[in-house]
Amino acid sequence: MTTQRLSFRKGRLASGTTAYVILIVASITMVVPFFYIVSTSIKKTTQLFAYPPDWIPRIPFWGNYSTLLGSESLFLRWTLNTMIVAGVVTILKVIIDSMAGYAFAKIDFPGRRVLFILILAVVMVPTSAVIIPLFLLVRGMGLLDTYWALILPPLANPVGVFLMRNYIQSLPRDLENSARLDGCSEFSVYFRIILPLVKPGLVVLGILTFLAQYTAFLWPLLAVQDETLQVLTTGVAEMKASIFTIDWGLVSAASVLSMVPITIMFFMFQRYFSGGSIAGALKQ
Amino acid sequence: MVGYAFITPILLFFALFMIVPILWVVFGSFQQGGIITPSEFVGVENWRSVFGDELVRTTVRNTGLFALLAIPGVIVAGLVLALALLRIQRGEAVFRAGIFFPVLAPPVIGALMFLFVLHPDFGAVTLAMRTVGLSSPSWLGDPVYALPTVAAFEIWRGAGFYALVFLAGLLALPKELYQAAALDGANTLRRFWHVTLPLLKPTAQFVLVMATIWNLQLFDSVFVLTDGGPVNRTVTVVMYVYRSLFAFGNVGFGYALSMVLLVVILAVSLVQFRLLRSRRQ
Repeated sequence: MTTQRLSFRKGRLASGTTAYVILIVASITMVVPFFYIVSTSIKKTTQLFAYPPDWIPRIPFWGNYSTLLGSESLFLRWTLNTMIVAGVVTILKVIIDSMAGYAFAKIDFPGRRVLFILILAVVMVPTSAVIIPLFLLVRGMGLLDTYWALILPPLANPVGVFLMRNYIQSLPRDLENSARLDGCSEFSVYFRIILPLVKPGLVVLGILTFLAQYTAFLWPLLAVQDETLQVLTTGVAEMKASIFTIDWGLVSAASVLSMVPITIMFFMFQRYFSGGSIAGALKQ
Repeated sequence: MVGYAFITPILLFFALFMIVPILWVVFGSFQQGGIITPSEFVGVENWRSVFGDELVRTTVRNTGLFALLAIPGVIVAGLVLALALLRIQRGEAVFRAGIFFPVLAPPVIGALMFLFVLHPDFGAVTLAMRTVGLSSPSWLGDPVYALPTVAAFEIWRGAGFYALVFLAGLLALPKELYQAAALDGANTLRRFWHVTLPLLKPTAQFVLVMATIWNLQLFDSVFVLTDGGPVNRTVTVVMYVYRSLFAFGNVGFGYALSMVLLVVILAVSLVQFRLLRSRRQ
């Protein structure tokens, strides 16, 4: 018994070293491109082509950043647009999806099953396959080049309804039943009892939605043409697609700054990125 | 009846921005015009031009080839990272943050970072290879290397996400089974093959379907990395759908092509569900 347990621990120890090696190599691979672009962002564009290269510039050049954050540049406006769109979509989605999730999990109404299966069937439809009609529809509604064009269509994605339904279904019925006996309306059961209990689920849905909106590209590319309405992704990509000479220094600084808000948020919500909370979210 | 009050908002958005566009694509693929001129029914003409189009065949081939490289790559990388994260005693948070970092990057921003790393004049890879006396191929400009380079980028970008999903699946497995297997003398590899892997099937199924749906819609990173080049070696189906709306104005063709994407993705994910389910029994 003792020897067996010992060999078990030895096995763990040996593979532990392999695990560390794998993780160290992987982590370096994952962050190196970012550090390289940070280093290029504090060089003058002409300095970029120097050989042998200056991996870490001795005298940092802040010009790219001051141009980007200066009054001539729209970069801060794009950042604001991304935050507004991602923030509003996230708030609306958490409300709408948790309401629907509650109804599908806890309320009996005719057609519940059919509607739920209909929503389920469409989850696998790729959004890029409906991008042309979506563009023509939003144009027909006169919403192109408005915040609405960026905010409304993403609300249709039904994945969050499942997430919330699964979370809410796993709650014990006793609580809501006793609240109903006390004369609470369905709405106050949802608002006072269910919502506080599924807060972790709401946070996970919120994070996933915000991240999806922060990184979205194809739809914003179609939905807004106006320079001042661009979001970070489309604005910065446009800087690179410029028909004039590309200002690489400016592009690198813009890429670095684009990562700042989402990285700060990641560290704020890091504990929700643990395996456990995602397991809860994906559990059927 | 109060149930309807709770689902009305989602149903409204769902009907308007999901159901209507889907039906629109289906009916639109049998029509022409509609943007400037009134639309008219043309039967299977759009379909004929889609199947007869040389570039459609190229985009389907590119997308398929890319998927064959990126999907297994991202799943294996994710699983290996998850197993490694599970093994270690210390520093999990640091490694998790490092591995997850590319997931936070919007694909176009991550692609811009790769442009800097791979640039033929000032890319880190180019410079590093030159320092040790090697000449670096033009990763994104060479017809042979371009598509695998895009796949490598997508693996870099996606592995962290799948690692977290696999980690969640691994953490949910019953610990007693491992201990029993260990006491029975099964080594790490056998434990993994006979205990972990079969139990992980539901997670693997989810990961495979997600990875397939996402990777078959490749667009953002290619838009920045190569814009479809060189010589159309990296044009994807979604990129052609996008171009068919603007560059050609032939929207019926775009609908038919969208339908191809829709049907292929639905069919592949249904087959994946089926295969993994029947194998479990």
